[in-house]
Parts: sequence; C-alpha cells; structure tokens
Amino acid sequence: MTRAHSAVSRRRFLGGVTATAAAAAWPRGAVAQPKTTLTYWNGLTGADGKVMDELIDRFTRDTGIQIEQQRIPWAELYAKLQVAVPAGEGPDLALIHTVEVPHFASDGVLEAIDDATLAGKGFRGDDYLPATWQGGVFQGKRYSLPLDVPQHILYLNVKVMKEAALAGPDGKPRVPGSRDELVTMAKKMARGDTFGFAIGTSNPGRYTWGFHNLLWQNGANIYAADLKHAALAEPAAVEVAEFWGGLGNALKIAPPANANCRDAFIAGKLGMWIAGSWNFTGLREAKVDFSVAPLPRLFKQPVVWAMPHQYSFPKPKTADRTRREAAWTHVRWMTDHVAEWTLKAGQVSASRKAHGDPRVTGDPVLKTLLAQGANWQVGQPTPKWVAAENLTRPVIESVYTGQKPAKAAMEDLARQINALPE
Amino acid sequence: MTPYLFLAPGLLLFAAFRLYPLLEGLRLSLTNARLGRASYQYVGLANYARLADDTRFHVSLGNTAFYTVASTLPVLAVPLLLALALNRGRLRNVLRSLFFFPFTLSVVTVGLAWLWLLDPVVGPFNYYLRTLGVPARSWLADPQTAMWAIIATTVWWVTGYYLVVYLAGLQDIPRDLYEAAALDGAGGWRSFWTITVPLLRPVLLFVVVTHVIGSFQLFGQVFVLTGGGPGDATRTVVQHLYETAFQNFFQFGAASAMAWVLFAIVLVFSVLQFRLLRGHTEF
Repeated sequence: MTRAHSAVSRRRFLGGVTATAAAAAWPRGAVAQPKTTLTYWNGLTGADGKVMDELIDRFTRDTGIQIEQQRIPWAELYAKLQVAVPAGEGPDLALIHTVEVPHFASDGVLEAIDDATLAGKGFRGDDYLPATWQGGVFQGKRYSLPLDVPQHILYLNVKVMKEAALAGPDGKPRVPGSRDELVTMAKKMARGDTFGFAIGTSNPGRYTWGFHNLLWQNGANIYAADLKHAALAEPAAVEVAEFWGGLGNALKIAPPANANCRDAFIAGKLGMWIAGSWNFTGLREAKVDFSVAPLPRLFKQPVVWAMPHQYSFPKPKTADRTRREAAWTHVRWMTDHVAEWTLKAGQVSASRKAHGDPRVTGDPVLKTLLAQGANWQVGQPTPKWVAAENLTRPVIESVYTGQKPAKAAMEDLARQINALPE
Repeated sequence: MTPYLFLAPGLLLFAAFRLYPLLEGLRLSLTNARLGRASYQYVGLANYARLADDTRFHVSLGNTAFYTVASTLPVLAVPLLLALALNRGRLRNVLRSLFFFPFTLSVVTVGLAWLWLLDPVVGPFNYYLRTLGVPARSWLADPQTAMWAIIATTVWWVTGYYLVVYLAGLQDIPRDLYEAAALDGAGGWRSFWTITVPLLRPVLLFVVVTHVIGSFQLFGQVFVLTGGGPGDATRTVVQHLYETAFQNFFQFGAASAMAWVLFAIVLVFSVLQFRLLRGHTEF
C-alpha cells in the first residue's frame, strides 16, 4: 500500500465516526426524502411560459418537488402525446386545451379522474365556472381539471381610432355595437397599409377560433346537435362565411390572410382587433395605447369564444403513486395560487377563487374578461372536433382570399368533415 | 466472403432504418391504423382508392408538380451562372463562402427570415416597394404569387450548395480543351455549349436528380411560410401527408398510402432522368 492510499488521518477518522453517529441519531422525519421530479408538458410558448416558470420555481421552493417541463407548440405537443403515451413515454402531467379532451379520452391517452379522488384533493365543481368545469368531462367521465380561460376580447387602438375621429371627447375610442357599425368604423380607419379591423393574432385568413366565434354568434356550429354530421352548409354558417370572405375582399377593411395582426396593432396599423386575451400583457409591455371592450355582438347573440386550459394526467405504463401524488400537489398548488397566474399571464382563472381578488377586479382588462363569463362558449365535445378544425383552416382561408365562394366552400368543408373516419 | 463482411454493417443499418420502415409503411397503407391506437384492421387497397376521390390530394400533387417544374430551371441555372463567374478570380473562395452561407441555415430559420421579409404589413420588402412607389403585395397570401415566393426562397437557400457542386465539376474540366477550342476560333459561348455543358453532364444529372427528388418531398419551406395556403394554393403532397398523419385524426394508414404513391412517382422520375441524362463522359 502506498502512502497516498493510506492517508486517512486520525482526525479525519474521528470526524467520520462522529458524523455517522450524528446521522444515525437524527430524528427519522427530518431525513431529507429523495426529491420527486415530475415531467410536465405544455404549450405555453409565449410570455405566459415565463410566468409559468416563475410559479414552478416557487412551487419547487414550497414543496421540494422538482418539475421538468417540456414546452412544445400546441399542435406538436398533441401529436407527441398521441405517440408517447401509448409507448409509456408520456409525462406525469399535461396542460391541454378543452377541445383535445374528447379525442385523447376516447383514444385512451388520458386517465379518468374519479369523484372520490377529486373530492379527496379538495376540488369541487361549485368552485369553478360551469363552462370550464364541464369541459373536462367526456361521456360522463372526468379527464381533466380547468386552469384558466383564454378567450376573445375586442382591442381598440387609441392612436389609430383618434386619427380616424373615432374617439369621444374624453379620448376614449368608440365601441361598435353591431356588425354594420363595426364595418362603417373600420372603413374610416382603413387606408394605405392601415387596417380597420382584424380577427386573430396572425394569419387572420385561417384563424379558426375567430371563425368559430362568429359561427356561434350566428347560432351555427361545426356539427349538428347529433355530433355526427357537419352543419356548415346551413344558411347561418354560410352567412358567416360570406362575412369572412368580405373581410378579406369586398369590404377592404382587414389585413391580408397571412398578416401578423399583433405586430400591425403594435405598429399602429390596425384599429379594432378581436384577439385572444393572452395578448394584452404583451401590448402593455410594448407600451401600446389601447383599451378593451367586451366582444361586440356581430350576429344574433353575444357569444364569446373561450378555450380553457385543462390539467390532465396521461396514462402511465406502470402506476407510480408518488409521482401521481406530486402531480396532484402541483395542480392543487397552482389552483391555490391562480391569482398570480391571472395577473401575470393575463388569463382569467377557471376557479372562482381569484375572481374576487382586488388586484384582479381592479384591472380593467381582467374585469372586462370576467364580465364576459356568461357568454363563453367552447367547442363541441366530439373526438373529431380537432380534425374538423384542421380541415376548416385552409377552406376559410380560401374564402378570405377570394379563391372560393362562401357557399361552395362551406359545402366542400362539410363534405370533408363528414368523410372523417370513425 | 470478406467483401460481404465489410458491407454487412452498412447493409444492416440500411435494412433497419430504410428498408424496414419502407415495408412497414407499405403494410400500414393497407390498414386503417391510427396513431396511438393499438388495434386496426386490414382494409386492402381502400386507402389507395380513397386517394382517387381526395380532391385535396389531387391539388397537392398538382402543386408539387408545378413547384418541381418551375423551380428546376432557376435551381439549375442560377448556381451555374454564379459558378462560371466565380470559376476564376481572386475572390473566388470568399465569394463561394458567402454564397454558401444561406445553405448552412436550417429551413426553419430561412423560412422565418423570409416570412418577416415578405410580411405584408411590417415587412421590409413591401416597405421599400412602397418607397419606390410600387404598390405593396401580400406575396405569401396571394394565390398567384405564393408558390413563386416559395421558389424564390428555395433558390436563395440552395444556390450556395449547388454552386459548390458546379465549381467542383468546372475545376475537373481540363483547361487545355478550352485552349484548343480557342485556337480553333471558338468563342466563349461556343466553348460553353460544346465543352462545359457536355463535360458537366454528370454534375447536371446529380443536380437535377437530387433537386427533383427534393422537390417532390417539399415540406419545410411550405410549412413555415404558408402552411399550404392561401387556401390550398401551396399545399404539397408531403404537407398533406403530414396533416393526415399528425393533425387530421392521426390517420397513419391513409398517410402511408400517400407516402407510397409519392415514392412510386419519385422512383419513376428518377429512373427516367437517369435514362435521359445517362452518357459516358471521358476526357
């Protein structure tokens, strides 16, 4: 044995013995448990992702539970879940949109949540807004729990509207009360590279969420009540498609089909903008002079498109009680701290808990979003909804760009949707 | 035996990562398989029969064919002209690197950059057009111009790569052939057609075959720049296939049938091109 190998001094030896004895004598409860690490997939790729990071850091400090996030654009996230979960490679927790629940549930990707578990974790339907709570249920079983309610709102660009003399003596922009009034006001603002009105953050021509919102306002929908046959060839849907086509063509008020409306609004080249609630914190950061108004009633009813985010538990290959409990702990913690999420990410919470928070009620935008609650509508609960939406995208764009007349396009779309396999 | 042992690792990898997926795709194309669902049934040629009625598939085939034909000439000619200009001269290496630079970028980077350049409201391209008094256009949202914008983006992206290939081919042509032609009174134009083009035939064959195969598989630029739009104006076969497999109800059986139809088309065109451009080059 060389000197280097035997270099354990008496002092070190005694130190080691003392430390071992001390560890053995330490109360059992105080021994640090191995930290649980959760895998959590979500599509929060915008500014809300940073807010989620901050909250997750706080959650880890509070509970000791680590979270490994995978942040993937929504469309890719859903394809990945569809492949990874059956292969046993899914996450412990996934944030998904309400309309994804039916097809993931029917494909066996999500685990059902029974009432006893739900009650045991302290989640009650009465604590949530009904439209959001019901969104987690498919064919009588619950598969997810709502977090928040992304929804539409009308943004008004103060600078653009003032320049078009569409602001009152108090400097506040006028709010359109009907479709005709909206068009008239938009025409006053549309000149050169400035547009009067747009729906959608980017690519307004193919913005299905906006198209759905108008369909719902006109009492139409993608599927008929039986959820089996497309209802897009109905006169109410065609009427909406005609207005959609007019936006991009005859009315000459909206930006081109592929414009980035958010950039245009920030650059002062767009007056009125129906877009998601997730945009307003970014507009504030960009110091845009804007105000908001409840979504105007452009057709028969003042319906507001909403798309709650839902927490879901993808089916694991083998059950891991510790990780599942940790996932529940996170959902509980986020629900208890949802006011922070609402304030920083700009998304109204699904739980009523934060709705009375003075910081929320004191914010004019959040207040407006909350006031729209009675008019929220979500997609139909059919596994084919998302596929139908994907088929809708190019068809409404072809109407917006004047490639196809509205009626023919809607009939073609209905035919395509009806041809989707069971 | 020894040669086969040397070939074995490559053949194994080829079998595992090329041949097996290809044949598995063929098997899937005969089923109603959906991604994520464990059970499925064999449906014979039903997926292929459905393609006969799928109008969007027909549109995407037409768009892919248009892109292939319309983009081949600029992809052949632009790098060749640049290669001829750069074949000699002091700045050859610097300019070659500059022209090659775009090809080092990923298709997403290229797509996003052009998306911004061509943005109808805040894009610099339209800004300068307006400054010059030319009316701005929405290049990617106009069915008349969208595919041409994708072609222009592709030419900008791949020119550097083909330029290097052409330059290598040009360097291989013996200089004494040009000197002999010059002594016989041939001018630059005649030398180009009677010496450069025939002796570049293998390089031209490579460029045409790889570009045509790549064109039939066009996806990245379309995905980023137009998403197949406006409407279906730039929808290509691979875009349609991708949406069928990963977005529209995860129909893997139907998407595999599309992939096999595409494979058959690419195979036929590749064989045709080899036959047409085959020739023995000797110098």
